[in-house]
Parts: sequence; C-alpha cells; structure tokens
Amino acid sequence: MRGPLLEREQDLAVLEDELRAVERARRGRIVLITGEPGIGKSALVEEFCRRVAGAARVLRGACDALETPRAAGPILDVAAQTGGELAKLANEGAPAVALISPLLRELRRPTVVVLEDLHWADGSTLDTVRLLARRLTDVPALIVATYRDQLERSHPLLVTIGELPPGSARRISPRPLSATAVGELGELGVEQAERIHVVTGGNPFFVTELLAGAGDTLPAAVRDAVLARVARLSPHARRLLDAVAISPQQTELWLLAELAGSDLAHLEECVAAGMLQQAAATVSFRHELAREAIIATLPGDRMLSLHAAALVQLETRSPGPAPARLAHHAVALGDAAAVLRYAPAAGDRAAAAGAHREAAAHYASALGFGEALPELVRCELYEKRSYECYLTSQFDEAIRARRAALGGHAAAGRRLHEGDAHRWLSRLCWYVGDNASAETEAHAAVELLAALPAGHEFAMALSNVAQLRALSGDVDGARDWGGRAIELAQQLGDEDTLIHALTNVGTAEFDVGDPAGEPKLRRSLDLALAGGFHEHAARAYTNLGCELFIAGRRREAAEIFALGIGYCVEQDLGSWEIYMTSWQARLALEQGDFEAAERAAQMVLARGASAPSRISALVVVALLRARRGDPDPSRPLDEAAALAKATGERQRIEPVQMAQRELRWLAGEDDGFLPEPQLGEPSPYWAALDQLRSGEPALMREAHAQLLSLGATAAARRAAAQLREAGLTGVPRGPRPAARANAAALTGREQEVLELLGQGLRNAEIAALLVLSERTVAHHVAAIMSKLDARSRTEAVIKAATLGIGAR
Amino acid sequence: MQLYAIIRRSGFSSGPDLEAAAARSTRVADDQLPNDIRWIRSYVLSEQDGTLGTLCIYEASSPEAIREHARCAELPVDEIVSIVDTVVVRPDPAPVA
Repeated sequence: MRGPLLEREQDLAVLEDELRAVERARRGRIVLITGEPGIGKSALVEEFCRRVAGAARVLRGACDALETPRAAGPILDVAAQTGGELAKLANEGAPAVALISPLLRELRRPTVVVLEDLHWADGSTLDTVRLLARRLTDVPALIVATYRDQLERSHPLLVTIGELPPGSARRISPRPLSATAVGELGELGVEQAERIHVVTGGNPFFVTELLAGAGDTLPAAVRDAVLARVARLSPHARRLLDAVAISPQQTELWLLAELAGSDLAHLEECVAAGMLQQAAATVSFRHELAREAIIATLPGDRMLSLHAAALVQLETRSPGPAPARLAHHAVALGDAAAVLRYAPAAGDRAAAAGAHREAAAHYASALGFGEALPELVRCELYEKRSYECYLTSQFDEAIRARRAALGGHAAAGRRLHEGDAHRWLSRLCWYVGDNASAETEAHAAVELLAALPAGHEFAMALSNVAQLRALSGDVDGARDWGGRAIELAQQLGDEDTLIHALTNVGTAEFDVGDPAGEPKLRRSLDLALAGGFHEHAARAYTNLGCELFIAGRRREAAEIFALGIGYCVEQDLGSWEIYMTSWQARLALEQGDFEAAERAAQMVLARGASAPSRISALVVVALLRARRGDPDPSRPLDEAAALAKATGERQRIEPVQMAQRELRWLAGEDDGFLPEPQLGEPSPYWAALDQLRSGEPALMREAHAQLLSLGATAAARRAAAQLREAGLTGVPRGPRPAARANAAALTGREQEVLELLGQGLRNAEIAALLVLSERTVAHHVAAIMSKLDARSRTEAVIKAATLGIGAR
Repeated sequence: MQLYAIIRRSGFSSGPDLEAAAARSTRVADDQLPNDIRWIRSYVLSEQDGTLGTLCIYEASSPEAIREHARCAELPVDEIVSIVDTVVVRPDPAPVA
C-alpha cells in the first residue's frame, strides 16, 4: 500500500525548477536525492516522473542489491528504453565508456534520466556517471540520482560525487514526515499520530507499514526490511545491535563497553548501515521500529542476560540513573523485587514532572507485580494510577483503578480511605456522564466520613457535593454544601479544599448573577496558581471562562480560555484543555468566526473527549451546518441530545434544546421562535436576528445582509422570507408559492419579454418578434433580472415560474 | 462517504482562473484529504456577469470535509446539498469546443 505523497511539494518544486532550467539553457544538470532507507527517495522520483510525463522523456535505471552487481546495470536499463544505436551497442556487450557518446545523442531532446540506488553501483556505472556529468553541458538532460546517506567514508560513490563538476549538481534530502502528516496519512488523533511519529522517526516507509499493520504489533514488512539489512552485517555488528536494542533510549558508550565488549569496535559498521546513530558519548537506533524488530528476534536467554547485565551496571553506577531506566530493565527481566523498587519511584518522578501518561504507565507496571506488595501499598498505587489516568482522560481506567483501591480499603476497614475513594468515584462517574452514580458515590462518601473526626477528606466530600449541586444549577445547594466545606477547610488550614469549594460556590453564584460569585472564582484561581494546584487552576480557569461567556462578556472569556488552554498544555492536563477548547468553539461560533469554530470543534471530536466536551462540540457542528444551510444538521445534534440527557445537567441540556429550536426555525418549521436579546456584548449573529425581530424594514434588510456576510446562508434565507412576509421587496426570493403572480411588479412589456426568454430566445430574436431594438430588449431583460433578483436569464425564468409569473 | 452537490456561484473570473482552482482542488483532495473527499465531476456555469461558476459533484465524509477542502483549496461554497439518488438518462454530451 502506498499512501498519498505528503510534505514533498518543496522537493518537487526544486526538481521542476531544475528541469525548467535545463530546458531553458539547454544545458544538463544533476539532482542528487539522498536519505536513509524508507525516507521516500523513490516515491519522490516516482511523483516527479508522473508530473513531467509528456513534457519530457523519462529514462530510468536502477542499481541492484546483489552481492555482485551487474556491470553498468542502470545504463543498460536506460539503453533498453531508448532502442537504436545505444541499445545495439549495449546488447553487443560494449564497454560502458563506449556507451557515452550514443547516450549523449539520445539526450539531445529534453530528457530526465533517473539512476536509482547508486550506493549499490558497480565501478563501471560510476565511471559512466562521472564521464556523463562532464559532458552534460551540451544536452538538455536532467540526471536524477538517488542514494543512501551515511555511507562509509571509503565508499566509492562518495569519490564520484566529489568529482562532479562544481555547480552542476544540486542535493535534495527529503525530510522525515511531521507528526501532522502522520496523522493525515492514518486519519489519527493528535496523540496517536505523535506516538507513531516518535517510533518511526517520521520515516514514511515505516509509517505506512505501521499504519497498514493496523495496531501495535510490528508489521512483517518492517521487520523483514530491518532484518534484511541486519543480515548483511558482520556477526560482531549484529551482537552490538542486540546490546543497544535492550534500551529504548540512548545507551552510553561506557555501558555498551560493558555489555558488548570488543563488539563495540563495530559501531561504525552499524552506523554506516543506517541502523545506529551516535551522539557525543551515547548510541541509539535511528528508528525505534528497527530496535523493536531486533528485540522481536532476540533469543530469550540472550535478552535476559543483556537486561540483567544492564540492570547490574546501572544499579551500581553513581550517581544512580533515573528510576524509569532501571524499571525498564526490571520489567523486562520480570524481576518483581526490582520492578517494585523502581517503577513506583519512576511513576512519582514522571507525575512530578507533569508527564502524567508515563506516570500512569509506570504505576501499571508496578501493579503488574502488585501481589508481592503489602496490601496498603498496593491500594495506594491504585489510587496514584487512578489519578494519573484521570488527568489524562483515561476515565474508564481511572474508575477501574479507583474501584480496586476502594475494595482494598473497605476490606481492611480503612474507613477514611474508603470514604475518600467514594468521593473520587463520584467525580470520575460525573466525567463519563453517569450523573446518577456520581450522586450515589458523593453521598456514600459524606455518610462514611461524617462518622469520623472531621478532616481534609470530609471537607473534600462536602465540597464535592457542592460541585455536583453547582453543575446541576442548584445555587442554594452549592452555597449550603460549599459553605460547610469552606468553613471546615479554613478551620483545618486546608488550602486544597478551600480552593475547590470557592470554585464551586463562586461558579454557582456567578451563574445566577450574584455579584459575590466572580470575586470568589478569581480568588480561587489566584490561590491555585500561587500554590501550584494545577488541576484546581485548570478548573478555575474553565469555570471563570464559561461564566464570562454565559454573561455575554465574550472578549474576557476568550482571554481566559486562551490563558487556561496554554496553562493546561504546559501542565499536560489534556482533559481540561479539550474541555476549554470545546468552549472556544462555542465562543467562535457566537462571534461569527465560523472557521475557527469548526476547527476547534473538529479538534475536540478527534481527540476522544469526555461527554461534556463532546456535547459542546457536537452542538457547534450542528449549528454550523444549520446556519450555513449544510446538509444533516440534526445528526450531530441527536447524538448531543442523547449524551446530554444521560448527564441530567441543565447546563448540558439547555444548549442542546436551544440548538434544536434554532434548527427548527432555520428550517422554517417554527415561525414563532425568534431569539431572546443576548446578554452583554453584541454577537453579530444574534444582533442580526434581533434586528430581524424589530420589524423595522431598514433594520431587517441590514440583518439580511449581515447574515449573508457571516456565511449564515440558511439564516439569511429565513430573513429574506420574513422580509417578504412583511411585504418588502428587493431581497432574494426563495421558492415561496404563497407569493402572488406579478408580486415582482413586472410591467406588461417585461412580462412579454420574460415569456419569450422562457422559450429560450436570444435578445435579437425577441427584438425581431416584438419589433423593438435589441438595446431596448437588453434593457428589459436587465430590469426583469433586477426585479426578480436573478443573477442570470435562466434564473429569472425559473424564479418567475415558481412565482407563477410569465407562464400564462 | 456520501454524495454531495456543491454550488460555487461566480467563483472564477476566467478559464485560466478556473483551471488553477481545479489544480488546487485536486491537489488538496488527493494529498491532504484523500480519505474524506473525492471529486467526481463538475459542470462549469456561465454566469450573467461574465464570470464562471461551478456545480460540483463530490463524495465526502461530511459537510465539514467539503468546507475544509474548499478552505484549503481557496474555493467558494454557496451551497452544499446531499444527493440521495442518481438518475443517469444519457451520458454527458461532449463539451462544446
């Protein structure tokens, strides 16, 4: 399978420029395309040849990867395509130098000569290339040669290239694909695309094979390609590769010396073969997939002994390496004690560094050997894993880990931890849109913890209920529960809970227009930022942005969302980033920036968002389709409605219901509906609808023009219909059968002209029939089109027909 | 994939302008959105003001994909309509020279 050619336009432009230069100056040039195997040298040549086919003759030759290559193989390939004298000489087995003159005669007309894989060329091919290059000045030929970079220093091709006439050659090195291109190739979300980008190094061959392989397993084609390359290496070099392969990142030279001994002397061989790369005092594979291919074929005993040796070396090294590295070897060895010694520490360190996804994976590694752990320690690891999964939107995993922790705490009678686990489950259930379970868990937590001495856990349980109340729009409930939480948190000096509760109460109050709300929310944001409570800060940003948006303070909302999203990207808080992006989509929609709204909404949908984010994004997609008059607006809205219903939250359900009403109005099914005046700063779309509702002809016309300029085609159509209902003319008509004949106020003469237009007559013919000058007819036609607001004669006839005019 | 008709009124000033747009359209569709957009055919419309419009038939994964394609290829979109059925009475006549 070959995907589309991505990110090669610049390279193709260079090739096309060179060919134009060759044709213009009738002077030959050489383009060298270099790069590692799989980077897409051949694909680039292929596309170039496809584009120039027809404009220039293309002759192609290739060297082959035989132990003993054919003498002058690619030149013989070219001769077979030209026929004539060149082919005759080649068939007779003439020496390569004797082919130069007939070849040059073939190149008198514009020709592209492709010579592929010159790193495998034999001596006579290289001689021919050298001679050809010197005599290229007289022929309009472009020589395109491909070869692998990273050749050994003594490779004969390097000598040939060094001897090319100065200024005659240009080099192109196709770059690895970007993560964006990888995503496009595989229709992947950002995270998946980045993961594949990392393991393949953007090498298009590896990317394509990995995508075609569908899944995490190493595709056979990649493994075969890698192993074929490995098979050419000496046994020493192969053993060195094994030693490097057991470490996913760089391996230090000192460690390799311990693991590989004298095989380390074969490092240059491995680098020249394109397998390894060296930077300062470390060595690594050029491609993660190549490393995986080696690992997949490494015999078990050899793998274990290498990992064991590496672990011993690294453990005794001072200063000690990162626990993540030690954990890697320990997991590979299946050494439970070592895994439990290093993986939890690796998780803690990753979490502290904001690498939450890696942290979650380290905790999972440790839990894989969790049976060897004391029961309490195991529960704590489950809790840590749950939290890291929660931060990275892996909600199902977060719930599973938290339930495991809950079970352990309950069985051991640790009431405090049990209560806290219920509170956490409440939060997680809310995230997946299961509000019924969220309520149950919230109250289970309060009940359990109320019986214990009041502490942080109880305060958080109270604040959690306040949060659920706030989310469902119950401001009194939020004030009540939140007030209790704030009071207790202040008594305890518990800043964490204080921030949480302030956010809950502040949000609920702001939401109902209580002026006490905004300062509470801003205070909790300041406290969270100052105290380094990342998640609280993200939530405060989110709630503040949403409330500003709802209050119609859209400019301030946009600022807060921009700050908040930046903060979340920095802190690796994916779920908050996506949620705020879904609000950015709504904001852009309201501000009339349809393209930005669409981009943001599509990003949210592509990243597998939680229910609340997905609802917002779906509503935006539906409204965009409906306002523009695009097909199928109700499909995304139906999905949003189902999701919103499951949450039972007013703040999710209401926007869906509003959108449903707007869809009906736009479809002309609900004439009674017109939007309420919007709070705060005017948004162009709603302002236009407000003008429409005024009944003032001038304002209504303005509204119509405004809707058209926003791209809200369907809304403009509705506006036009309302203008017509108000008896106003001069706006485009839709097919409204209610309009009476001659509503367009055509004169009698114009009606006659219209009838003849309908018969398909040209102006001259109409002029002859009506005994008028052609100019007068043209004038009538223009008047008809203007009155019917038609852009063409045909459109005028069609519009007239639907109005019942002109078809007497 | 679903079939859509896309109307682009007075989007092109001349024949060469339209050709350039067609090249951009093909490139964007094939290179950037190969799984979301397939251009099937177009009818070029002679507009009253001397410009050209088009009625295009595309296969697309969603209306958003058509908008995205139009944005990347710098094409206007006046209307997108879902096509539910195709009735071919006779093949398109050869274009007038």
